[in-house]
Amino acid sequence: MEDLHTQFFTSSGVVSAVAGISFEVHRGETVGIVGESGCGKSVTALSLLRLVPEPGRVTGGKIYFGDKDVLKLDADELRDYRGSDVAMIFQDPMSSLNPVLKVGFQIEESMRAHRRFTQEQARSRVVPLLRQVRIPDPERRERDYPHQFSGGMRQRAMIAMALANEPELVLADEPTTALDVTVQAQILELLRDLNRDLGTAIVLITHNMAVVARLCTRVIVMYAGQIVEQGPVEQIFESPQHPYTWALLRSIPRVDVKTHERLRSIEGIAPDLVHPPGGCRFHPRCPFRVEQCFSEEPPLQEVAAGQQARCWVQMKRAYEEMGAADLVDVSPGAGSGYQVPQG
Amino acid sequence: MATATAIPGGIAERDWEMPEQVGLWQDSWRRLRRNKFAVIGLVIVAVVIVDALIAPFWTPYETWRQALGPTYQGITPAHLLGLDESGRDILSRLMSGATVALEVGIGASALASLFGIFMGLIAGFYRGKIDAVISTIINVWYGVPDLLVAMTLVVLLGRGVINLVVAIAVTGWLGMARLVRGQTLSLREREFNEAARASGTRSLTIVFRHILPNALGPIIVQATYLVPAAIIFEAFLSLLGLGVPPPTPSWGDMASEGYKSLQVAPHIILAPSIAISLTVLAFNWLGDGLRDAIDPRMRR
Amino acid sequence: MRGTLVYTGQRLVLIAFTALAVSSIVFIGIHLQPGSSLLTDRPSNPVRLQQLLHQFNLDLPWPQQYWIWLTHAIRGDMGVSLSSNRGESLTPVLLREAGVSMTLGFFAILFTIFVGIGLGTLAAIRQNTWVDYVASTAAVITYSIPPFVWAFLLIIVTVTYLYTLTGGAIYEDIGWGKPEQIPVPALALGLPYAAIVARLTRASMLEVIRQDYVRTAWAKGLTGRVVVVRHALRNALIPVVTILGPLVTAIITGSVVIEFLFGIPGLGKEFVNSILSRDYNITVAVFTAYAVIVGFANLAVDLSYPLLDPRIRY
Repeated sequence: MEDLHTQFFTSSGVVSAVAGISFEVHRGETVGIVGESGCGKSVTALSLLRLVPEPGRVTGGKIYFGDKDVLKLDADELRDYRGSDVAMIFQDPMSSLNPVLKVGFQIEESMRAHRRFTQEQARSRVVPLLRQVRIPDPERRERDYPHQFSGGMRQRAMIAMALANEPELVLADEPTTALDVTVQAQILELLRDLNRDLGTAIVLITHNMAVVARLCTRVIVMYAGQIVEQGPVEQIFESPQHPYTWALLRSIPRVDVKTHERLRSIEGIAPDLVHPPGGCRFHPRCPFRVEQCFSEEPPLQEVAAGQQARCWVQMKRAYEEMGAADLVDVSPGAGSGYQVPQG
Repeated sequence: MATATAIPGGIAERDWEMPEQVGLWQDSWRRLRRNKFAVIGLVIVAVVIVDALIAPFWTPYETWRQALGPTYQGITPAHLLGLDESGRDILSRLMSGATVALEVGIGASALASLFGIFMGLIAGFYRGKIDAVISTIINVWYGVPDLLVAMTLVVLLGRGVINLVVAIAVTGWLGMARLVRGQTLSLREREFNEAARASGTRSLTIVFRHILPNALGPIIVQATYLVPAAIIFEAFLSLLGLGVPPPTPSWGDMASEGYKSLQVAPHIILAPSIAISLTVLAFNWLGDGLRDAIDPRMRR
Repeated sequence: MRGTLVYTGQRLVLIAFTALAVSSIVFIGIHLQPGSSLLTDRPSNPVRLQQLLHQFNLDLPWPQQYWIWLTHAIRGDMGVSLSSNRGESLTPVLLREAGVSMTLGFFAILFTIFVGIGLGTLAAIRQNTWVDYVASTAAVITYSIPPFVWAFLLIIVTVTYLYTLTGGAIYEDIGWGKPEQIPVPALALGLPYAAIVARLTRASMLEVIRQDYVRTAWAKGLTGRVVVVRHALRNALIPVVTILGPLVTAIITGSVVIEFLFGIPGLGKEFVNSILSRDYNITVAVFTAYAVIVGFANLAVDLSYPLLDPRIRY
């Protein structure tokens, strides 16, 4: 997508949820979008499918899927695109599955809506799909209703539903947030295996950097509706350049520090998206700001091979010029104990 | 709102309870005022009430005086709504009919509500056998058509306003009792009951001071809805010839007479029909407004 | 399945119990009042009077009378008429009239359900447009107008105006027996209730449309019609079905008045006549019949719940 703008027109003002986002997702990639609540990551994903709820609208920019201009698709083309080219799974599987319809039916419905499979094919694909997402006893399970599933299983069912039409891209909006920690790990593993086996690109949206580390090869950090940093996961974890990224990584609870150290959180409160701060949007909460940060908004700049950050200062300078290296962790991500998946 | 009563633990509870209540009512009132339909409904209801109060003392013509002009006469400047089949002034009878309508409507609603609240409270609060008995009664009679019961009662007891009120209330209390019972059951378990009980307040006091005020919102709404239901009920009965006996004018009665002369003079039936419909509409708007205003989870 | 059977069994017992309670209470209540059509309409000859009383068991103490009535009623014999056609067996008459009433009620309910749900859904989809505002206000007004006023209005329109407008080509004969006589009373009965259903459907749909699973349905690329009907409506109808029970009861109740106004020979009219002419056998019989009909109607509604919402199991 290029320079996407999505806004909500509310009675208290116009909220610029997404203010100029551009990024690409390549075939088979796993990309993570990270940020705190309200930074616009979910809205970005919804914009990709043109599912932004009232009173919001995409107000500017372009979205391309292959050579399709998504924002210009008419109703029929849009329906083809949704669920077939790009699929989405949502945060809370209990409320995201229709409680009065059988799970098997909901998956089958997804296939029947598109012309890819015939009716018999669709019927027969349900059980193998359930098996692929590791739901035990799928023959019996397809005739069950969502309330008869456990939380983890529901999420797997949602994944099965999303994969039914073999989409090229799957958007996962906080797929693990509503689940227990052990189940979280299983789901992430499942997603990783699916990406590897099927070659489906995954965009994972989360507020949890640890989750990104487990699954993604590339990460995009968002703040206040903008991208503030993006690049390969390993690199970002080792040397984050934007202070926000750096702070995010620092706030992951670490196993190796002495127990009396406090958990580090980011100071300040979330920005008001109706009237965002002037200059760099992060400056009110940034411990490394300089004069320029108050008045000029930094553009996204290349800071290392394949890595970009939106910052005047950047951590490199902070360490060298401000003597920050003496005071703080240079590489909070590396020490956090999280393994970035190889390959 | 709370009256001073010297009970152990009462003062502490009262201080804590009052701000919550006062704030809630003021808030609700403000919300009610903003609702255009509710306000219109309130105004209409007020007009009807005033009319009902005045009518026994003054109407343009006596309601019983016949042959004021040719029968079935239409609208004239002297008789703004025309004359009925006996030459009586329709406008005067209409005004007087409001008195009956409200007597029956408010009376039946009040009686049914009081009885229903009482039954609901003791069923929900004491539970056990009392609840079993009351619930069975409610469940058995809830499905019986209320009109038939009322009709039978009127025939047995005779016609008249008070009998009518009783006949309507006999089935009317069931709904209120169910509502209050449900409220009581859920409120019973809430924390402030534990607090009250722990400080030794008597059961009766708990019921009145804690449960009732919190259930008051839905109760008021339900009672408001009961009034138009009772008015329609009375009209039903009058149509069948079982309403308030003549010469007392009632809207249902006027409609009944008007129906008989429908071919000859359609205007006779219109006045009471519109009066009934308008009053019911007003109460419905008011009830809706109250319901939206009192519901703390108001969404627009 | 087993739970459903148990539940149905319980409800049937409740219906039987209700019938018992209703019939006995009505019976007692009536007999507390002296007189019956036999007495108001009495033959002057005292001997003849005694004969009649004996013939109809009216000289027995009334618990015994009730027992006789009950044992007959269970076997389907509802006794005999005491007034107009003295001695005429009631059961076939009542069955015929029940058929009439149920036909009227059926069409009224049909109208209520389809028009109500249809309009309610439409208003919900077009929320906050003028369609919605107009429809919502019209709905409140419609259900504030009681069925009999609707009857008046419809009668005035169909009988008077259409007649004069079309020079006698279209007119409404008030009565029963011809199929074209069904719409007007059914409409009069159904309109206000349809408005209530519409209102509730709208409110429910608005809630449901906001739900996550509807968003999922859109994300799957389903057509608008499928999303609305299959996903949204099915869930939205659940609270509507809840009021369907009391609604059907209200329609059955209202049919009494409508039958009276339109001269429709149904149970309602029979009931009114029996009360006015003090033919108490009929009163008890019809009352009980109504109680049973309402009981079954409510049971039918409650049994349809699990069809709609698989989370509900008896």
